[in-house]
Amino acid sequence: MSLLRAWLAGIPAYLWSGWGAIASLLLLLAAWEGASAVYGALILPDPGTVFATLAGLVDSGAAGPELAVTARRALIGLTLAIAAGSVLGMLAGVSLTASMMARPLVTVLLGTPPIAWLVLAMLWFGASDGTPVFTVFIACFPVIFVGALQGTRTLDGHLKEMAAVFRLPARMKLFDLYLPHVVSYLFPAWITALGTSWKVVVMAELLSSADGVGAALAVSRSHLDTPATLAWIAAVVGILLAVEYLLLEPLKRELEGWRRSNDEARA
Amino acid sequence: MSMLHIANLAHAYALRPVLDGIDLELPAGSTLALVGPSGCGKTTLLHLCAGLLAVQSGQLENGFRRPAVMFQQPRLLPWKTTRDNIALGLKALGVPAGERAARATAMGRSVGLDELALSQFPHALSGGMQSRAALARALALAPDLLLMDEPFSALDIGLKGQLHRLLLDHQAEHGLAVLMITHDLMEAVRLADTILVMAADPGRIVHRVDLATPARRRGDAEVYRTTAELLQQPAVCASFGLAAPADTDSGCPVRPLRAGDEARPAPAPRQKGCSC
Repeated sequence: MSLLRAWLAGIPAYLWSGWGAIASLLLLLAAWEGASAVYGALILPDPGTVFATLAGLVDSGAAGPELAVTARRALIGLTLAIAAGSVLGMLAGVSLTASMMARPLVTVLLGTPPIAWLVLAMLWFGASDGTPVFTVFIACFPVIFVGALQGTRTLDGHLKEMAAVFRLPARMKLFDLYLPHVVSYLFPAWITALGTSWKVVVMAELLSSADGVGAALAVSRSHLDTPATLAWIAAVVGILLAVEYLLLEPLKRELEGWRRSNDEARA
Repeated sequence: MSMLHIANLAHAYALRPVLDGIDLELPAGSTLALVGPSGCGKTTLLHLCAGLLAVQSGQLENGFRRPAVMFQQPRLLPWKTTRDNIALGLKALGVPAGERAARATAMGRSVGLDELALSQFPHALSGGMQSRAALARALALAPDLLLMDEPFSALDIGLKGQLHRLLLDHQAEHGLAVLMITHDLMEAVRLADTILVMAADPGRIVHRVDLATPARRRGDAEVYRTTAELLQQPAVCASFGLAAPADTDSGCPVRPLRAGDEARPAPAPRQKGCSC
């Protein structure tokens, strides 16, 4: 509850600090407008047309359901990856043997392109929800696993000794010793995974599904409808930015309050 | 009666022996100081007593029920306030939140931490305050045995003196036994009832001193005199790598580092009362 209140109270100051980010986004829009004037509307429609198309899609009720389907698939895959990656990564981090054995496996997972997993998933799951969900899971899992593993491995050995002599029970070791340290490694990994999930799910839908943003992109491509294509892209990127900067960043600031006050003390 | 009893204890890391033939007894309520040069196995011995290392050979019977450890570094959790850090051991024992906050506050106050320091995170505290918090965290458990590994070595002499006083007061009130490691002979003489001097390669006990006056009633003059006497013992000098004293009035002269240096004039004997 106090977390929610702190989050709400932090929003105005946080938004005010975002003017620099908004200015750079507006510069991007200007460049887009310029490029559109040079290459013509078929290659690159101007931002005004694209956002009007997007508004039209939202008003006609076409955008909402597609975005909801895509979001559901991405979130299921991401949630599974966060749960499995965080738990397994921390377990592997506790044991030196397990972390040494896990490293090469994670490198193999990270090195395999998502498109390869997508082809396998299409063979295994067909046109069901399983294909995008599995692809998202397998693309996000290694990122989170490595974050949890590194966080657990880098906990100061002195603190572990201290916890041993003060006879901290397993539950306290998890919540008072490991998690507060690991979270500063896990959280960036979760945010990276969120971005990955959102990108991968659209790709998976484009090739395997009959609904969702990816499928809508496939349709607009086949109609050579560049404004609609860009409108869908704008919707996907806009949602990702909103989730990351309005939800996750303030939450991260709140969770790491001790770190911030340390920095202030040093300054 | 609870006590720590160690007989013929030996320990080795891989094939390198670090402790050999250690015998010592620590009865309830008394203070034992282990003094010796760096690398003589003092910390290994303390870790064995704390149960952080498994005994390889020999006997170690720890009859104390509530041991606590104070390390060389404060080792506070950076994500917990000072108060929550002091209460950590109490939380591990299952003391309810309200009671442990009250006990941690009281213990923090008694080591001289104010309300502001108690509600700050450890990084905002000075080194001396962090050490006080670490001492409070150990004492909050109401231990019957306190193991200390060079706990005050990073502090200036003023803070050191204050924390010595705190420790002695707490000991007088609660009667806890203390096993402390230090390489400061004067600190050992100030606090301990018994001083064991260790030598390295492998770590063994080479000299024992029992101090008759209780630590709280030892004046500065007596501390200086006893330290000086200790430095005239050939075994103590040898353990710290110092040359044996030339006569009974002088302390141990500093031994040259290399054989070639002996061509130079021998260094003047150290003044009495200097802790080398």
